[in-house]
Amino acid sequence: MDDSVIQEVADLALAGSGQHIPLSRSYLIESRLAPILRREGFAEVSDLLACLKARQYSKLHAETVAALTAKTTQFFHDRAMLDRLTGHVLPMMADANPEGPLRIWCAGGASGQEAYSIAILLQESEVLRDRPVEILSTDISETMNEAARTGKFGHFDVQKGLSIHRLLAHFTRLDTGEWQVSHDLAGRIGVRKHNLLDDASGLGEFDVILCRNVIKDMAAPASARGLLNLARQLTDGGVLILGKDETATGLIEGLEPSRDVRGAFTRKVARNALSLAAA
Amino acid sequence: MKSCLIVDDSRVVRKVAGRIVRDLSFDVIEAGDGKDALEACRSAMPDAILLDWNMPVMNGLDFIRALRRENGGTKPVVLFCSTENDAEHIGEALRSGANEYIMKPFDADIIESKFAEVGLI
Repeated sequence: MDDSVIQEVADLALAGSGQHIPLSRSYLIESRLAPILRREGFAEVSDLLACLKARQYSKLHAETVAALTAKTTQFFHDRAMLDRLTGHVLPMMADANPEGPLRIWCAGGASGQEAYSIAILLQESEVLRDRPVEILSTDISETMNEAARTGKFGHFDVQKGLSIHRLLAHFTRLDTGEWQVSHDLAGRIGVRKHNLLDDASGLGEFDVILCRNVIKDMAAPASARGLLNLARQLTDGGVLILGKDETATGLIEGLEPSRDVRGAFTRKVARNALSLAAA
Repeated sequence: MKSCLIVDDSRVVRKVAGRIVRDLSFDVIEAGDGKDALEACRSAMPDAILLDWNMPVMNGLDFIRALRRENGGTKPVVLFCSTENDAEHIGEALRSGANEYIMKPFDADIIESKFAEVGLI
């Protein structure tokens, strides 16, 4: 792949999802686009680009942008944070709002491991088990969303982050060797396609929004825009949880660090008073 | 340094698993079947045991049942490591005293994740 092809793909990713692909990580391009090249019968990435130029904003275009984004995730990633969420934050919110359902959004949730991990913790919690809690997992990639919907996970996926006890309690082994999440768990999860650069008001408001290890792959202006879209969907008192090395500080006016969850943010102003921080 | 006994009749598996476990800062001891493993435990109880199911002389299930009756035999954290990957076999291993279960084939990430799961690292 020569540099002009790499640049074209990087531009495509930036415009489509805000993803920043530095030259040093251009090796990702070929591996992540390989399934599309194979399916469409293209020999090289440049063939795919030529096709996209001929038919802009096609389904293939959206699939290409989605395929370039990261998909690495695992069950119970950053377990301490999830334990804090279901052991402390959600019970507190449930106390404060005994009536309505609590809503959780896993933004950039890939194949659903984060959403299912939270669902497992809810099932295991005496306080939260019988309380209505909605979990929505969204991803830009319809392939990932489909994987989350089917709830089938491979031999290697189910052995990273999941104890054998949780595997047996919540999954059934299929003849294919894959493991299928239980009906109960699947019933707790909704899955929808969503691009973080798009307005999210159609998804409603959320008490907890997790968007972990997503904005770190985005260009700075795009990540700020994505964060603003997320923050606008927070309920009063709702928390936005980012990845360990990610922050909203300096990017969004009107968010402040949460007092309850380290590394999380809450709104300190009304929803429509949130804005991008001046550069 | 913590110690890990690797019990498998395949020399290749012992070698691969041994390399991974050493990288997690464990001393590694090897045994080719359950009987050898039991003798190793009688001379020094390891902190962890990675245990194959199907082996000649004494299989993994017989080994763990015998181990748990030994003096100090409840101390080692036992991780079964087998190609028997259905819920019935896994359940039987857990009921016989296993703490975790690794389904073969495994890789370094799985071993590390499972060791973390049982608090070994």
